[in-house]
Amino acid sequence: MVIFLAAKTVKIEEPKRSSALVRQETIASYLFLLPSLIFFLGFVIYPMVLCVVTSFFDSTMNRADVFVGLANYKELFSDPVFIGALKNTFIIVIVSVPVTCAFSLWVSSAIVDLPEWATSLFRCVFYLPVVTGSVAVTVVWKWMYNNYYGIFNYLGKAVGLIDKNINWLGDEKYALGCIILILLTTSVGQPIVLYVSALGNVDQSIVEAAEVDGANDFQAFWKIKWPAIMPTTLYILVITTINSFQCFALIQLLTSGGPNHSTDTIMYYIYYTAFKLYRYGYGNAMGVVLAVIIAILSAVQFKLGNQDN
Amino acid sequence: MSATAKKQKPLKRHPSKLKRMSAYMILAIILISIMAVLFAFPLYWIITGSFKTGAAINSTTPEWWPGEWVLTNYQKLFAGKSAPLWQLAVPFGSRFSADGEPIYFSVGPTVPAAIRWMVNTVFMAVVSMILTCATAAMAGYALAKKRFVGRKLLFTLIVCAMALPKQVILIPLLREMSSLNLYNTIWAVIFPIVGWPFGVFLMKQFSEGIPTEMLEAARIDGASEAKTFISIVLPMVKPGIGALAIFTFINSWNDYFMQLIMLSSTSNLTISLGIAKLQAENSTDFGLIMAGAALAAVPIIIIFLIFQKYFTKGIAMGAVKG
Amino acid sequence: MKKSISRRSFLKAVGALSAAGALAACGGSSTSTAASTASSAAPAASAEASGSAAANIKLWTYPIGGWGKDETVQEIIASFNAKYPDIKVTVEYLDYTNGDDQVNTAIEGGSAPDLIMEGPERLVANWGAKGVMAPLNDLWTDDAKKDIYESVESACKNDAGDYYEYPLCMTAHCMAVNMTKVKEVGADKYINTDTHTWSTDDFLATVDALYKGGYENVAAIYCSGQGGDQGTRAIINNMYGGTFTDAAHTKYTADSAENIKAIQTLHDADGINFDASINGGEEITLFRNGTLQMAFCWNIAQQLNTDNNDAGLTNSGDEIFPMAFPTASGDPKLCGGIWGFGIFNNGDDAKIEAAKTFIDFIAADPDQVGASVLASTYFPVRASVGDIYAGNEIMSEYSKFMNYLGDYYQITPGWATARTEWWNMLQRVGTGEDVTTAVKTFCDNANAAAAAEA
Repeated sequence: MVIFLAAKTVKIEEPKRSSALVRQETIASYLFLLPSLIFFLGFVIYPMVLCVVTSFFDSTMNRADVFVGLANYKELFSDPVFIGALKNTFIIVIVSVPVTCAFSLWVSSAIVDLPEWATSLFRCVFYLPVVTGSVAVTVVWKWMYNNYYGIFNYLGKAVGLIDKNINWLGDEKYALGCIILILLTTSVGQPIVLYVSALGNVDQSIVEAAEVDGANDFQAFWKIKWPAIMPTTLYILVITTINSFQCFALIQLLTSGGPNHSTDTIMYYIYYTAFKLYRYGYGNAMGVVLAVIIAILSAVQFKLGNQDN
Repeated sequence: MSATAKKQKPLKRHPSKLKRMSAYMILAIILISIMAVLFAFPLYWIITGSFKTGAAINSTTPEWWPGEWVLTNYQKLFAGKSAPLWQLAVPFGSRFSADGEPIYFSVGPTVPAAIRWMVNTVFMAVVSMILTCATAAMAGYALAKKRFVGRKLLFTLIVCAMALPKQVILIPLLREMSSLNLYNTIWAVIFPIVGWPFGVFLMKQFSEGIPTEMLEAARIDGASEAKTFISIVLPMVKPGIGALAIFTFINSWNDYFMQLIMLSSTSNLTISLGIAKLQAENSTDFGLIMAGAALAAVPIIIIFLIFQKYFTKGIAMGAVKG
Repeated sequence: MKKSISRRSFLKAVGALSAAGALAACGGSSTSTAASTASSAAPAASAEASGSAAANIKLWTYPIGGWGKDETVQEIIASFNAKYPDIKVTVEYLDYTNGDDQVNTAIEGGSAPDLIMEGPERLVANWGAKGVMAPLNDLWTDDAKKDIYESVESACKNDAGDYYEYPLCMTAHCMAVNMTKVKEVGADKYINTDTHTWSTDDFLATVDALYKGGYENVAAIYCSGQGGDQGTRAIINNMYGGTFTDAAHTKYTADSAENIKAIQTLHDADGINFDASINGGEEITLFRNGTLQMAFCWNIAQQLNTDNNDAGLTNSGDEIFPMAFPTASGDPKLCGGIWGFGIFNNGDDAKIEAAKTFIDFIAADPDQVGASVLASTYFPVRASVGDIYAGNEIMSEYSKFMNYLGDYYQITPGWATARTEWWNMLQRVGTGEDVTTAVKTFCDNANAAAAAEA
């Protein structure tokens, strides 16, 4: 989706210019780019290159790296934990991105027409988990999920939904779902702010004109508001995808990837491989595979985006 | 954009709209209210929990409202570890000092470590924000408005790197920071945040909106590149910078992973890391953990409430162009 | 452009100046280094060795009794500085949840601490085996070898005979029961309160009595990982006489019939949960707040803890009674904890020397070692320290457990991997995998790691 946005802006009419002018502009451009490039190349691209290089080595603490060719990659695809982690990573992204978008759109469209103070209050409340910070929020969620005295079991039993305590984070069936639920609460804040603002900016006269013409609420939404908030939706998709891929703190603090690797994501498994198993080369190979997958996804969308134009 | 929005506002509150508060809407608002309670609950629990007695917080049936308010948790938090309020080091000093330790030219008074963590976190977030906005505004402008060799390649690189989780480059980054003598300094957290290309991408989107004729006119008038940038480009992308500033601030505040990897000594921790450590060290003392969590959450929430208008406006601005 | 050049030349100048300073400092230190080496060779003479080199050293310590508390550690450092005012010691406190990762990142980040306090399983079997530690052979004088218990000594060195740990204190890890609840359900008849022992059948009968007495959660095989692994290992190994490794500490033997039977029995017992959502520390919390009636992650430091109530009482005032792990044979083999100091080799001889001076003072100086051990709330590792707990009822009672100490096998190669795999194995059993398969996978993975490191 990233590329969708990008592609729209790529085509620019290219007037013929002299080569001296081009050279001059190139120099000026790079001077503008320089500060940013230092950081981008130095702390993103350079480590990425090192990552690719190290992935061909058996690398561990305090020992010269041994070249092993593609051995790390071969091992990766026969490592059930890695496959599981890959699957979990995509489950998190595939579930949390659409749910975040849909939920925040639903909330926003309901609260946008309320009196100003109410809109502001709701928007604020939904934004609270974002500003509270995932570590502080996790402290409470850990207690809520507790097997023995957590609030979910307490309320569940009080209301009669469950008759026996459920070990939310200790059970393979629920653990990943629990993580995703927390992730959702910490990621809808921003989209709601965005949607409330975008919906508020939709030209109301057009909506009313449509309603006069007999369109119902749903049609008015789908035909007029939805296209108008499309750029917002795309932006939300981008930031939510990025956030979901980066989900790490929740896993490290709540389950450490367990039980039985059922909440391992690639991001956590890389950390685990590096600092529990001391296998740096193997961890880097994982990173490369994830990077390639993300790059392919981006490239596919780039092509799709280009065809659109 | 904001001008048109204002014009629309009166229309939005049209009486006919409110009259048609359908059953669905009422139901939706009730549901959302329930959700809102769930969202606000963690914060509520942190704040009330931090004032509860040990017995109340450890009780197996939840105590919804503190029966007795006590300050012991905060006293314990502040009586625990301590650290200097600030330490300003000579750049690369550790390279040259006799024992490989940083050379400090200014060290603040000793305060409870939690206060220092707050200082570190604010410093990290503010510096990341400033550096990101400054570098991204320049780069975004160049990418949007200038033709140069390698532009397409660079842009592809930026777009591809945008969704890349930082964990991927964890080991190389750690080694790099080590060789730059930046490990266990706040800069090791700041630099990768600044390097993350989302800001450049966002600022490029904003800079697209600058009319090319204006830039041409400035060039014909003989304005230098720097002058054009400062007097024409910057004012036009100001909303974008605002959006990026808020986005970076929140993101770096919550960037637990880089902090976890790069920072180790008590005086260099951030508040998130401090809370996580507090939790690991005192799993029996829930009240203390809550006090730490409250200390981490409340200041930024107050900042958020004060600047709510700018926050929401800033975030929304980002999307309009994004 | 111009600016950056002038700045760089400025830095160069600073660099040249401070390099000169560093050289001067090195020259100064190498002479006094010789002095302090001499003093450590003859510990008796170390009393007057106050002319040691000036140095800043970093000590990282895990929460080893009072060594995890800043007040206690600062007191000890103060008495060290009274004798060696030129060595500045800064302390960081690690925890068992993130501590290992923190040390590992610091090693990769090129700023490992100079001194670290933990046990041979980390200092010898992990970081020592990885070659990042400095050998402490010169601290292990003949007198020291004579004074320190042999089982402890052998745990502190690797196969090549290099010592990577200089020990300070030790204890036996045990389990604990909520005695008030046990009496309430009439199960105290199963417990020998004098020897603190019980048979496996008595243990299971106690669990059953508690469960039937309305305590749904009697005990938990906690397995979310990180810390407290000795408790789960010990209960499983002791029940039917299984072992964790072979006697020579070369391979893992947890897949023996005895161990499989123990795991199966624990898994099938009502009231015992294989709980992947909690770790050892959280098990203790649950035991203290009355949720669980037994704890497997126990030792004297827990018994003495007064965070929530007086020592030896749960939060609600129930009596906590420490017990040896149950055995069929009546001969419990408790896991020992040995703690002491190791030195990371950061390539700075002056710091290594200063760190050795510190160790020599804290753990070998006859005037200090008693206080250092007392601070830990554990037991001394050397005979000469004597009975530092004379007259202390709790400690004298607890010292009974020291007689049950088993083999210190935590220095088997591949230990770090084995520990991680152990949690995974318990988690798999908890989620219903066949015990034999799960244990076999554990042994295969752990032995592969052992073979790779040996």
